[in-house]
Amino acid sequence: MLGRMRARWLAVAVAGALVLSGCSAGSTATVGGDDTLAVGFTAEPKNFDFTTTDGAAIPQALLYNVYEGLVKLDANAEIAPLLAESWTISPDRTVYDFHLRSGVTFSNGAPFTADDVKFSIDRVRTEWTISLKSTMDVVDHVEVVSPTHARVVLKEPSNSWLFAMTTRLGAMFDPSGVGDLANRPVGTGPYEVTDRRRGDSVVLSANPDYWGRQPAYPTVVLKYYSDATALNNALLSNGIDVISGVTAPDSVPQFEADTRFNVLQGTTNGEVVLAFNNRRAPLDDVRVRRALTLAIDREALLAAAWGGRGTLIGSMVPPTDPWYEDLSHSYPHDPERARRLLSEAGQQDLHLRLRIANLPYAMSAAQVVASDLGRIGVDVTIEPLDFPAVWLQQVFTDHDYDLSIVQHVEPRDITTFGDPGYYWGYDSPRVRELLRRADTGSPRQQVADMREVARTLSEDAAADWLFLFPNIVVAKKEVTGLVRNQVSESFDLTGLGRG
Amino acid sequence: MTRNLSLLAGVVLVGLVVGTALVSFVWTPHDPLLVDASVRLLGPTGDFVFGTDKLGRDVASQLMVGARTTLYVGVVAVGIAALVGTPLGILAGMGARWLGELIMRVNDLVLAFPALLLAIMLGAVYGASTLTAMIAIGVATVPSFARIARAGTLQVMSTEYVLAARAGGRSRWWIALRHVLPNISGLVLVQSSVSFAIAVLAEAALSFLGFGTAPPTPSWGRMLQESQELLAVDPRLALVPGAAIALAVLGFNLLGDGLRDRFDPRLEVRR
Amino acid sequence: MNSGAERLPGGRWLGDGWAPAILRRIVILLVSVFVASIVVFAFMAVLPGDPAQVALGVNATPELVERTRAEFGLDRPLITQYLDWMGGVLTGDFGTSYVTREAIGPQLVDRLGVTLWLVGAGMLVALLIAMPLGTIAAVRHRRPSGTAVSALSQVGVAIPAFLAGIILVQIFAVRLGWLPSGGWTPPVRDPVEWLRGLILPALSLGLVQGAVLTRYVRTAVLDVQREDYLRTARSKGLRPYPALVRHGLRNAAVPVLTVLGLQLATLLVGAVVIERVFVLPGLGSMLLDAVAARDLLTVQGIVLVLVVAVLFVNFCVDVLYTMLDPRLRRS
Repeated sequence: MLGRMRARWLAVAVAGALVLSGCSAGSTATVGGDDTLAVGFTAEPKNFDFTTTDGAAIPQALLYNVYEGLVKLDANAEIAPLLAESWTISPDRTVYDFHLRSGVTFSNGAPFTADDVKFSIDRVRTEWTISLKSTMDVVDHVEVVSPTHARVVLKEPSNSWLFAMTTRLGAMFDPSGVGDLANRPVGTGPYEVTDRRRGDSVVLSANPDYWGRQPAYPTVVLKYYSDATALNNALLSNGIDVISGVTAPDSVPQFEADTRFNVLQGTTNGEVVLAFNNRRAPLDDVRVRRALTLAIDREALLAAAWGGRGTLIGSMVPPTDPWYEDLSHSYPHDPERARRLLSEAGQQDLHLRLRIANLPYAMSAAQVVASDLGRIGVDVTIEPLDFPAVWLQQVFTDHDYDLSIVQHVEPRDITTFGDPGYYWGYDSPRVRELLRRADTGSPRQQVADMREVARTLSEDAAADWLFLFPNIVVAKKEVTGLVRNQVSESFDLTGLGRG
Repeated sequence: MTRNLSLLAGVVLVGLVVGTALVSFVWTPHDPLLVDASVRLLGPTGDFVFGTDKLGRDVASQLMVGARTTLYVGVVAVGIAALVGTPLGILAGMGARWLGELIMRVNDLVLAFPALLLAIMLGAVYGASTLTAMIAIGVATVPSFARIARAGTLQVMSTEYVLAARAGGRSRWWIALRHVLPNISGLVLVQSSVSFAIAVLAEAALSFLGFGTAPPTPSWGRMLQESQELLAVDPRLALVPGAAIALAVLGFNLLGDGLRDRFDPRLEVRR
Repeated sequence: MNSGAERLPGGRWLGDGWAPAILRRIVILLVSVFVASIVVFAFMAVLPGDPAQVALGVNATPELVERTRAEFGLDRPLITQYLDWMGGVLTGDFGTSYVTREAIGPQLVDRLGVTLWLVGAGMLVALLIAMPLGTIAAVRHRRPSGTAVSALSQVGVAIPAFLAGIILVQIFAVRLGWLPSGGWTPPVRDPVEWLRGLILPALSLGLVQGAVLTRYVRTAVLDVQREDYLRTARSKGLRPYPALVRHGLRNAAVPVLTVLGLQLATLLVGAVVIERVFVLPGLGSMLLDAVAARDLLTVQGIVLVLVVAVLFVNFCVDVLYTMLDPRLRRS
């Protein structure tokens, strides 16, 4: 195994050298250069265990590529079969019968059966520690009807449960494969992790025993860069083939002008939110929150902070969700009204601490916010905090902030406004009731209620949704099958092809 | 001849930085913090001498206020180093042999914690800020002052007039204040100038790594870091603060060189 | 009190001569390493936040946090934790990271390898620049060419290494496409690619250090030139460069070597920034990542390694100095 890997790597490296040196003399044979795809990212997984480590980097690399669930979210944001060939839902919408694909094996050779479904779903409750796990609390129990038939019984109907099964929460594990999740992931996916160089790259190699179609690229190297500039430079200097997401928006025109590359721009689930600490004075006063929202010119902010690339949404709902509604005009830029509202609320000489993630989008946006709020007489101190470690501890856990800016990347995370303990400090019985009804009601009811939630949040100025983070993928022309909108948690490699 | 030239060049460059910083207190062409998306990424024009950055802020105004940050960091860091390092060096040169030995050993130990490392460690504990950067650079610079002061002190202590003073029953304090301090002040001044240059570089590197001055306070290092992604699009944004850093460092180094030549002979003569 | 000029760093205990002097240096090194380890450990111990909580994220139950604290041994007294850590470090075991759940020791070795290549290559570049330029600047110090070299070195000293790096990438990787913009290929995997990847980082690190070193070489050569034997040699008709090569450079080497040692420490730290610019998986980027993730045990290990490396380099310089300097050898 190791020998094979090394040989393969040598081939990869030699091929890479030939590609990179381009014009260098004496090139002999090109071995498998086309078989390898190098994709660049900016956030490196700390380890491979997304059951206990929060953050987007691990599912981005592993979900759908190494781990698979019963269902997946396809490019159109529809729930599609994956390890379950089909499923039926009982009339009262509490019993789900999954009919599993046969002949599926884990990368360690163990067969995938209904026992693994029970094991994996039960394990979320007992062993997982990440914040998303609560979505699975609604599961009552899992029955193994036959090796290819698993039945999941919910305590009450939940529209969000099956959706959650498309995320990392639905990943299927093998009981003998969870010994060292942090370092040795074992899944049923088309790829397995074959090499890792910390601070540099993760190598995925095609799993020869994969149940489905073999992927177009037998080897995919996920390369990690410390910042957006290094990532851009890597593509420009032929070090990688794809930029998974450009986070230096002002550099995009240079790719658009270059005939070697394709640029795709779509949406993500990442709402860049200016959070108000709703629990703490003076932000517990809706007039103050509205004043701040009115004072910020979001269109100008998007232009300045992110080169105008992104979507103004005005709520916690991205356009790819079924209940999306454009609420971006609820608070048109109006510093005069903002000032009036502030004086109505009796707030003069307001001084606020803006404690942000130390990431480029937040740093840029914060400076615009501070400048805009300065114009209505609100003094803002910007404090960048190491993200995630320090931000999670001080802002998210200890609620020690007035304002914060961070990108919320989880799909359908509007539900966090139903949790009064969440760092928003937002507590509205009406929103909680709407969310509950949306989850347990019929799908049509769900859409209506979720719309109402978004409107209520906007009305209350529970936060200021600055903009929706764009999904900007840049790839060499030869790489096909890239998806415009990033709707799932995964950077899905399975649809890629070679042009 | 060239020496006088370097002193002159040093004085001019440092004067330029200090002058810019002072002027920025009373006047800048624009508000350096005012964001205006409608004028972002403008090239140099009559209104914006060095153009505007990606948030539409005036680069020239930021550069002027950034000079303040640079000097502030330098003055505090070098101040800490000189005020702690010089007395320690004198003590090491005048005190009991074991004390001198101990001070110099601790000195070597501190030398093993370079400014960058200390700043990163301090930043991890207290959160990165201008303050942690200044303290780290200051502490890491203490050993150079202690070394210089000790060497100078040892030289002064072996001069005849100090031996005479000691024979005359003068106290150590009197000797330290009357003879040692005035004689090594030139050395300390030279070291200050050289250390200042190093501090400017260190602050730039720290801001570049995100361990320095927090936004929106303008800092040359952070201006450089923020404009890095635009290097291919608009190199001016990185080159302007880069040149400012280089000129400031050059100025303090030249000043140090020039001062060294003025002060060294004096030490010879007085001996 | 005797005259100060004879008092040398290191004192006089353990007697005279250079063998005891080196022994003395070793004792000092060991004590320094011990004290440094305490400083590093104490620094990390005062860090706010519970490492177990940080590692587990915000939704971990208190029981799980407790369990993890016990697992990592964080519930024991600090003294025990320190002794345990140091005991491990002495046998090469730096513990298991709370964040990556991987042994830190092998990671350190891996990353240190990258950093050492970078520092070594940077040093080489610096020497290749400084030796000829410094000598020219000294020999021709009264002529325009010598002054020009001196001035150039002054400008070189003033440019931040990371700025040099950014500009080099832009020109040679992005514009011209001659060299990779960053990344690391281990030499065993592909020596050619490894070398290509090393060139730009080594240049960024070496150019600035080379400028610093040029000034020291110039001073050293100038000092040597003033020595009598060289004047004699030149008065006998030897041209300046052969005379210098034959007689002077060995003597000039002593101060240069000292500076080189001190520079090595600077390079080691300068590599932190350069690794960031060029995305090299060295000790510096490991440190920055670990700090960002508040992976304290890893930070502790890296800082200790860096500090001990600097102490060790200084020790080597002292020893070499003792052995090479005739005045010291005589005493």
